[in-house]
Amino acid sequence: MTTTQTSTMQTTTAAPAGAARPLARRRAAAMDTLRGVLSIADWRRRSVRTGMGFVHVLLLLVLVVIGLGPILLLGKFAITPTQDILRAPLEVFPNGIAWDNLHKAWFDVQISRYFLNTVLIAAGAWASQILVAATGGYVLSVLRPRYAKALQWMVLATLFVPGVVLLVPLYLTILDPPILGTSLLNTFWAVWLPAGASAFNVVLMARFFDNLPREIFEAARVDGAGPFRLFWSVVLPMSKPILGVVSVFAVIASWKDFLWPLLVLTKPDLQPLSVRLPSLQATTDLGVLMAALAISTLIPILFFLVFQRMFLRGAGLGGAIKG
Amino acid sequence: MTTDQGLVPTRRRRRTPVDWIREGGLSTLLFALPLIVIFGVFSWLPIGRALIMSFQETNLVVTSWVGLDNFRSVLADPNLPTALRNTGYFALLALIFGYPIPLVGAVLMSEVRRMKGVYSVLAYLPVVVPPVVAVLLWKFLYDPRPEGVFNQMLGWVGLGPMPWLQSATWAMPSLVIEATWAAAGGTVIIYLAALLGVPPELYDAAEVDGASIWRKVWHVTLPQLRGVLLITFILQIIGTAQVFLEPYLFTGGGPANATLTILLLIYRYAFGQSLGADYGEATALSLLLAIFLAVMSLVYFRLTRAWSSS
Amino acid sequence: MRSLTKPTTAVLAASAVAIGLLSACSGASPEAPETSPDDTTSTTDEATSDTPQDVTLRVVSLLPGSDQAAFDAFDERVTQFEALYPHIDVEAEEYEWKATTFAAQLAGGTLPDVYEIPFTDAKTLIENGQLADVDAQFHDLPYSGDFNEALLEAGKGPDGHVYAIPAKSIYGVALHYNRALFDAAGLDPDDPPTTWAEVRSAAKQIKDATGVAGYAQMAADNTGGWQLTSATYTRGGRTQVAEADGTYTATLTNPGTKAALEFLKALRWEDDSLYADATLNWGTVNEKFAAGQIGMYTSGSDVYTALAESFGVTPDSSGLKVADYGLTAIPNEGADSGVLVGGTLAAVNIRADDAVKDAAIKWIDFFYLQPHLDEGPAVENAQVRFDNGQPVGTPVLPIFSREQYETSLGWIEQFINVPLENMTGYTDVMFDQPVVGEPSASTQEIYALLDVPVQAVMTDQNADIDALLEQAQTQAQSLLDEG
Repeated sequence: MTTTQTSTMQTTTAAPAGAARPLARRRAAAMDTLRGVLSIADWRRRSVRTGMGFVHVLLLLVLVVIGLGPILLLGKFAITPTQDILRAPLEVFPNGIAWDNLHKAWFDVQISRYFLNTVLIAAGAWASQILVAATGGYVLSVLRPRYAKALQWMVLATLFVPGVVLLVPLYLTILDPPILGTSLLNTFWAVWLPAGASAFNVVLMARFFDNLPREIFEAARVDGAGPFRLFWSVVLPMSKPILGVVSVFAVIASWKDFLWPLLVLTKPDLQPLSVRLPSLQATTDLGVLMAALAISTLIPILFFLVFQRMFLRGAGLGGAIKG
Repeated sequence: MTTDQGLVPTRRRRRTPVDWIREGGLSTLLFALPLIVIFGVFSWLPIGRALIMSFQETNLVVTSWVGLDNFRSVLADPNLPTALRNTGYFALLALIFGYPIPLVGAVLMSEVRRMKGVYSVLAYLPVVVPPVVAVLLWKFLYDPRPEGVFNQMLGWVGLGPMPWLQSATWAMPSLVIEATWAAAGGTVIIYLAALLGVPPELYDAAEVDGASIWRKVWHVTLPQLRGVLLITFILQIIGTAQVFLEPYLFTGGGPANATLTILLLIYRYAFGQSLGADYGEATALSLLLAIFLAVMSLVYFRLTRAWSSS
Repeated sequence: MRSLTKPTTAVLAASAVAIGLLSACSGASPEAPETSPDDTTSTTDEATSDTPQDVTLRVVSLLPGSDQAAFDAFDERVTQFEALYPHIDVEAEEYEWKATTFAAQLAGGTLPDVYEIPFTDAKTLIENGQLADVDAQFHDLPYSGDFNEALLEAGKGPDGHVYAIPAKSIYGVALHYNRALFDAAGLDPDDPPTTWAEVRSAAKQIKDATGVAGYAQMAADNTGGWQLTSATYTRGGRTQVAEADGTYTATLTNPGTKAALEFLKALRWEDDSLYADATLNWGTVNEKFAAGQIGMYTSGSDVYTALAESFGVTPDSSGLKVADYGLTAIPNEGADSGVLVGGTLAAVNIRADDAVKDAAIKWIDFFYLQPHLDEGPAVENAQVRFDNGQPVGTPVLPIFSREQYETSLGWIEQFINVPLENMTGYTDVMFDQPVVGEPSASTQEIYALLDVPVQAVMTDQNADIDALLEQAQTQAQSLLDEG
């Protein structure tokens, strides 16, 4: 449930020993600033070119087969009749195409509804996370009241608590939240609210704000801006990159979330795709199930393809965790 | 400490609430409110509650204090060693499959001259697929019949049909393969970003010393990546120690508890018994796991601080 | 979600006719206020002394993902009920009893007001104080004395009060088979196996001739233990013994259980005729059977209803067709052999207040019980189901008496659309079979334990059955000792 953060990489290493070198050669090499391991000189060698070329083609092939393969298979199964899926899964439509599967998945199985739930849940979770992280980071980094240090430590501490510890007590808290008095079970709030408690996001934001030039804040204050004005008109507009990163993480995490919605959204009407699909397994025709799975995957993939740059940039900064 | 709000000159007499408001304390508090409320109710409160509950026995109808009983019965549960072994096995396999491969991939990808974007997209695509979809799809691909997709592919290279999820021996590796497929792309992208951050001058200097390609990788690239590598290592361990989705959806912990992990065991304590759910035992085991991971992380950071001079 | 609040004109018309039928028949339940549909504003109310307050009653409907037609049939019944009791507003929810999620729902208080529980759970829930005491409301029913005592016992607390009412699906475990596969394998579908040895050879024949698995076994979500217990009973064994002093002793190492596991092992590893999936539970084995991938399996005798309602068995489905379904008695061998019986009780949520309890009993009476007792409701219920293409007439064990059951079958004879002629292997002997109730202590937990040996035997060729049973025995005994 919680994600943990990689620290910005500041480690340095003692560079391999270098005595004085011919200046000209160094200057020439230094001009290739886009290089990786291989230098221009390396690339000039025929053996390196063909070797790397071969490796790259191989890599591309592997990526296509492994990365794209299962997804393409899913697409194929989505429009294959069930008997064909069972008997001859790898053959190319021996008995024709079953466009029906998609129709049934959307209408009979009502994927549309669960899809909507997933979107709503993701939207609320995103809002919750942005709100908490932005305001929290602002307080910790810019406003810095007396209790900021304490607050910061308490937030950081939760980074070290694995999500598992929270599972049961959080569930009980949802059943009987303080002040509110009514159970939040089977409401979207049960997913939206806890989503905001992400120390990772707060730290990311705070760090980013730390790196903003203080002069601009001073200038704004001199101009008479209060904390709200400062936040809204100065800090936020400058934070678009980090807001983008946090947003991407928030949406992906929400889309993938399985265990928590499984526990708190027991009414099928409210369940997102991740919870609903497994329970439909037994009572749904295999072809239709595949179609449902395919439809569920389509939007995240499209989303990703459109916002590639933001995804990849964000993913590079944070951590991807298995399991 | 002094606040950054240098608008109000410091006074000699005691600060009154009015001063506090005037200094902007109220608005600060308002800004801090979302954080405090959300974290308070949904993070700190549950943590405290977990501590308390681990010393109680409750099924929501009746609650009583039982001291260390929960911890005792958790440690005495014959399923615990199984869960520990399985979780360790998963973590180990995941490390073997999922740690070096993304690194190799990333290094190769960083050298790509054109179409770099295509590589990244292809690598990251499985990460974007919702885990539930991936698992349900792979469950089908792992069909143990000869007509099963993977078994057919094995047939192309002359290998016999494998039982995959139907065998206590192969169930866990099958889970790891899917989990790796789903997550490796993320790691690749992280490494890629880190690789781009390697100062080119270092490579230049190494070449001037006459280093071959391989030596450059060994002596420049890897040391530069040390920070990232260390972090992803521990994050992976922490993450795989809490694996739940794959065993739950693929095999339900089977066959014969061969894929029972610690998280699954916790889930069973709390939500898996139709009656008499044992929240106390569930929180007790969660706490034990948390303590173990915390201690392990501390030890890890101590050790690795000696290696990386930061 | 299936629309419950927008009855079509057809449904309204049908229910009007049905209500007419109901009020015409003198056998209407005395619980129903003596009002006809166009008299809903009547202020004279004989059923209760004060005007019944408006109540919302949450009830369970069907398995998630069931056919739309099945939901339509259910909705019609709801409309009929609401017409009968205008002050009760029924809200229905899909429901599947799964050991894993029931606890969360129970703890979360999200269970409906009326829900269904298997016999095995009733005693524990009552002990935990999680079921409402409906004794008073129950005894208001005029037929409260007509219940089959053994079944009623399952829902009584130690104080003798009724907490849950036998409601439906009283089953004996039986053997289900695919007649089409029998034909294809050269077996006679009208002469199904009667001993375990015959089951084994039939399974092998099916596998050899058609390539389809001849036999399947549930193994997950406690169903492995459930079926293993049933298999034990049929071989004369017992998994538990009640001692005179009120304690229980686990007897998992008895020869019957061992023989059952060895049977599975032989089918899996020697004959290769067992469906090789150790993750099957009640739902997924039905799914595979309905898809035509399994020759035979054991499950509750009334599973046909679910197969038709939720798993796609229709007269012309691409998998198992209605005419291909066959039901026969589970093989019974040896002295002391018996058939495991169980069933479903209707329970009322502990948080229900008196008004809700009243409404709950009325619903239980109307939906579950009336069709067994009075011709009017029986016909009405059967008519609705028949019109929506839902199965009518699946053999179940009687909640009341055998005579009552057979009488009720007579009332709905014209609506019976299940292939009874293919079920004679079971119906011929169903009343004569020796019946054994499910074990009474720590039932579901021991079922969960027993899932492990079943899965082990199915996935590990070298599984040591004795060791597995020893281990299960130890764990089971410690469970029985503490609980």
